Amino acid sequence: MSIFATSTSAFFERSTQNLTALRGQAEALQNQISSNSKLTKSSDDPLAASMLRGLARQEALAMVDTAAADRAIVDLNLTDTALSQFATYVTRAQELATQAASSLLPPAQRAAIATELGQIHNGLLSLANTRDGAGHALFGGDNATNAYQINAATGFAEYIGSGTAGQLSLGDGQSVSRTLTGPEFLSFSDPAGNPTDLMSVIKNLSDALSGGAASTASAASAALGSLAGGLDAITTAQTVVGSRLSWVDLSVERQQTMSEARSSEQADVGAPELGSALARLQQLSVVLEASQASFSKLANLSIFDVLR
Amino acid sequence: MASNLLSIGLSGAKAARTALDVTAQNIANAGTDGYVRRSVGLAEVSATGYHSTINDVSLSGVRVERIVRNADAFRQSEVRRTGSDTARADAEVSGLGNAEAALEQSGVYPAITAFESSLQKLQEDPTDTSLRASVIEATRTMAATFQIASRQLDAVGTSLRFQASDGAAQVNRIAGELARTNLRLARAADASSDQTALLDQRDKLLGDLSQYGDIATSLSADGSVTVTLGSAAAGAPTAPLVSGGNTVAMAIATAPDGTISFTLDGAALSLGGGSMAGQALALGKLDQLKDDLDDLAADIVTTVNAAQGNGTARDGSAGADLLAGSSAATISLVTGDPAKIATAPAGAPAGSRDPGNLGALRAALSAASPAGRMDAILFDVSATVSGRTVTRDALTAISDAARTALVAQTGVDLDTEGVNLVRYQQAFQASGRVMQVASTLFDSLLQIR
Repeated sequence: MSIFATSTSAFFERSTQNLTALRGQAEALQNQISSNSKLTKSSDDPLAASMLRGLARQEALAMVDTAAADRAIVDLNLTDTALSQFATYVTRAQELATQAASSLLPPAQRAAIATELGQIHNGLLSLANTRDGAGHALFGGDNATNAYQINAATGFAEYIGSGTAGQLSLGDGQSVSRTLTGPEFLSFSDPAGNPTDLMSVIKNLSDALSGGAASTASAASAALGSLAGGLDAITTAQTVVGSRLSWVDLSVERQQTMSEARSSEQADVGAPELGSALARLQQLSVVLEASQASFSKLANLSIFDVLR
Repeated sequence: MASNLLSIGLSGAKAARTALDVTAQNIANAGTDGYVRRSVGLAEVSATGYHSTINDVSLSGVRVERIVRNADAFRQSEVRRTGSDTARADAEVSGLGNAEAALEQSGVYPAITAFESSLQKLQEDPTDTSLRASVIEATRTMAATFQIASRQLDAVGTSLRFQASDGAAQVNRIAGELARTNLRLARAADASSDQTALLDQRDKLLGDLSQYGDIATSLSADGSVTVTLGSAAAGAPTAPLVSGGNTVAMAIATAPDGTISFTLDGAALSLGGGSMAGQALALGKLDQLKDDLDDLAADIVTTVNAAQGNGTARDGSAGADLLAGSSAATISLVTGDPAKIATAPAGAPAGSRDPGNLGALRAALSAASPAGRMDAILFDVSATVSGRTVTRDALTAISDAARTALVAQTGVDLDTEGVNLVRYQQAFQASGRVMQVASTLFDSLLQIR
């Protein structure tokens, strides 16, 4: 401001205004540096504050997506392990069926094979009812309890779950099925083209062999074809699970990249540039110190000190 | 002639004494608010001779003609006008700043985000009790933050209305004092120190009054002032607030929505400046913000409850309302039972993991976009505060400059007063010397033998 006239109180008022303004600026900078944020309230920069709110919100929602991806990885790994065990069971069933297919096998041994196949059937049933990470049926779709149960009337295992496996959101509209439903890998077509499922095939074979008659050898060799189809279905399912796992990995990678991008944008928008802020603070302190010194020098000049 | 010399010396000594008194008064009041620097106006006392001695020189010394009050009416009215604008901007910014803090620090926005993210998390495993409980708690927190924000906004409104009604009381008090000052000014002797003190008081009262409302003044010859406050409705004549010894009452009316309006002597009054105008503006904005917040809260309640009604709770029952209330102040959680969140579609069995209805709820929420709307409300208030702050800072700079200019002109400069002190002291001593000379002259006449 231009000084066109002066009086003692005007001098003090001007000095107060200048010193207060300088101190206010310095304090605002100090506040920015110590809080590492350019904004103490939204009105400091409404647009940046709105952007920061949006970024913080995306970050919060993305954390849920990350957790969902972790859960998907756990469930898919559980599915993969279970499928390997299914494959082991089926391979063993194939060995047994191959032995039973020999008409030279003594009836007692054939009966023993039938017993072991019965055990395999039970094993398959309990494997089909494996639990996922949250304690629900892994292969039961949306059903919380078991996926398969033995039909009391027929003695065959039947699927009691729902139609599809649950989807987990991976963010940005992407999602992944966390597992498979039982029928997706246990049901297949036998060589004749009729729909069947693995547990029925094994139960039928076990039932057929339990009599021990040599005539059942043909049933065993017929079952071999179906078992091969069952193993195919399982290995196909494993491939599907493997590709889903790599899809989740890709998504996790994408989430991390996005999160890094958000962090850097947050820093760009909201955080002060420390170097320039400190330099500016230093400059302000020098000016403030000089103003205070010159003020006290001028204020000490009084004509009454000179008058004697 | 010697006796004339003596009386001239006496008048000089008297004038110097008065000037020293005025200087001392200036020094003593160097820091007094509203004090205007005085100086002494001196005039020569002389007379032409009588008819017989027409060419005679007749000198009679000096007299104090008046006390000069160094006030500039233009600068004073500038200070009042700019101060009035600054007070309005200040009151508005402080009211809106409080509203901003109420909306921002109550944490409504993060609470809405937490609510949505808890729903998203629940989608992973809709039957999980702990995930459901976290949704219930997030909902409870969200409702609580809405209530806090609403209460805070109410508190801001109450405080603004309180300040405004205090402003009206102050206006009426100052108007009364101005009327009394007017009456005393009419009786005060011209250019006396009594009158200058009254003028100081008048200007200080006008300055105080301009902090509450925009005023226009007109001065009469005797120094009394007629004050007009704000402006009346179009077409209606504006009654003066103070006219001579008369005042009219100013009052505030509060509407049901919390906004305020002013009346002067019963007639509608609009204020363009002063803190009360700022408070009225802030209350108007506050009312709009509160409506926005209430609408948002009501929409969240409707959206959540509508989606709940289309689904099945975990215990197999049909989905019931999760939230109650129709405004930010009344929004509340109906049930704390985690099982009651209807994640499964209608007709699903108990314990179903089907997240169909949860998906529908999230889609409905995403369409209603409560976070986006809250962000818009926050942006609205913060952008308003930011804009008004810029205006306020500009007005403050202007009014500071005007005030400093006035103070520079009317204030006491101690250096000048110090010099005056020496000057009048010397004048006093010189006048004493004149008296001594007169006495010596007289003595020398007496000693003639």
